Amino acid sequence: MRVKRIDSDRELALCEGEGGDRISVEIALVQPVAEGDVLLVHAGTAIAHAAEPERVSA
Amino acid sequence: MSMKFVDEYRDAELGRALSAKILSSIVPGRHYKLMEVCGGHTHSIYKYGIDDLLPENVELVHGPGCPVCVMPMGRIDDGIAMAHEENVIFTCFGDMMRVPGSEKTFTDAKAEGADIRMVYSPLDALRIAKENPDRDVVFFAIGFETTAPSTALTLKRAKAEGVPNFFCMCNHVTIVPPLRALLDSPDLRLDGFIGPGHVSTVVGARPFEFIPADYGKPIVVAGFEPLDVLQSIDMILAQLSEGRAEVENQYGRVVPYEGNPAALNVMAEVFELRPHFEWRGLGFISQSALKLSEAYADLDAERRWEVPGVRVADPKACQCGEVLKGVIKPWECKVFGSACTPEHAIGTCMVSPEGACAAYYNYGRFAREREVV
Repeated sequence: MRVKRIDSDRELALCEGEGGDRISVEIALVQPVAEGDVLLVHAGTAIAHAAEPERVSA
Repeated sequence: MSMKFVDEYRDAELGRALSAKILSSIVPGRHYKLMEVCGGHTHSIYKYGIDDLLPENVELVHGPGCPVCVMPMGRIDDGIAMAHEENVIFTCFGDMMRVPGSEKTFTDAKAEGADIRMVYSPLDALRIAKENPDRDVVFFAIGFETTAPSTALTLKRAKAEGVPNFFCMCNHVTIVPPLRALLDSPDLRLDGFIGPGHVSTVVGARPFEFIPADYGKPIVVAGFEPLDVLQSIDMILAQLSEGRAEVENQYGRVVPYEGNPAALNVMAEVFELRPHFEWRGLGFISQSALKLSEAYADLDAERRWEVPGVRVADPKACQCGEVLKGVIKPWECKVFGSACTPEHAIGTCMVSPEGACAAYYNYGRFAREREVV
């Protein structure tokens, strides 16, 4: 999910999914986080940053 | 509309090219049996028809990486008993609601009057506790190391904020012990593993080093898009053809080799290993599950309420155990698609969206002839 807005005091971020859905996500485990970052979220908690996609080759 | 992080891994032409590369790299006449550990991979394989892109010599078998599927009936019974306790609001993830216990599901118990609520995250359960200070709120925690950090953070927050009416019934399990149990099992001869991508974001790839070191098998940690899975299969087959057995990381865009230290730290603070835990189909496995540590004992629902704690055998007709061990394919179960469907499930593998039986059923996948090389 992509980070849209950050609440630093509560370590929460408003994140947007592929379909435009938005949820509040706990970001304490993946700090530092910036707006525009893409996070992997499980059960409302971000557990990893996603790096830029790599090109798959055959 | 293109979607970054998605389109790059769903290119049909590249998929066909990888398929051709796999076909050219296998030894004719040799059978390759690879296990996808994670239920998310099982779902991707059947959703995208990845097995159709593989020669018959390359067989994919499903592993124990679906947390709902491995939950034994006795734990459901314990949860239902807790939900019926006076003044309790019982919370769980939605995919637990229809998992059968020995006599009923959480949905049945809710219909009988128990106050059972679905939540999206443990933090939602904590919010319910704060909104209902005169009630006791129990969160039924399940999942592998992917979900355990979320529960741990919530418990830490509950303790820090002094929420006295929030409790956790912990059913979190860990991925390495069942893999070792499978590798020690005489039922199954595996050539390699498609490693669990999301669990590895937390634990990293290092915990899987025992697979090549102790068993001489390759494992490739993989992402969940179709090209991720195909590429990981290609990487496993390359190791086999070159006589190598290593841990490789195909999902490097999300999985650091060392995992997420912050998540591991909070888990270490809040949880400790249970001496043993029962897994559906696999029986009792030592040090394969988590309970709350002494520092968090006051939030442990199993210390707050007594539960039956009775071991319950699976229904005779249900072969989830064999499916979870990869010994049989879902369609080989006697009740698959007849007595057991997603609407009226007998076994957990048909209930969970990540379950192998549900994946086969929902995507209409049955045994078919494929090209033999």
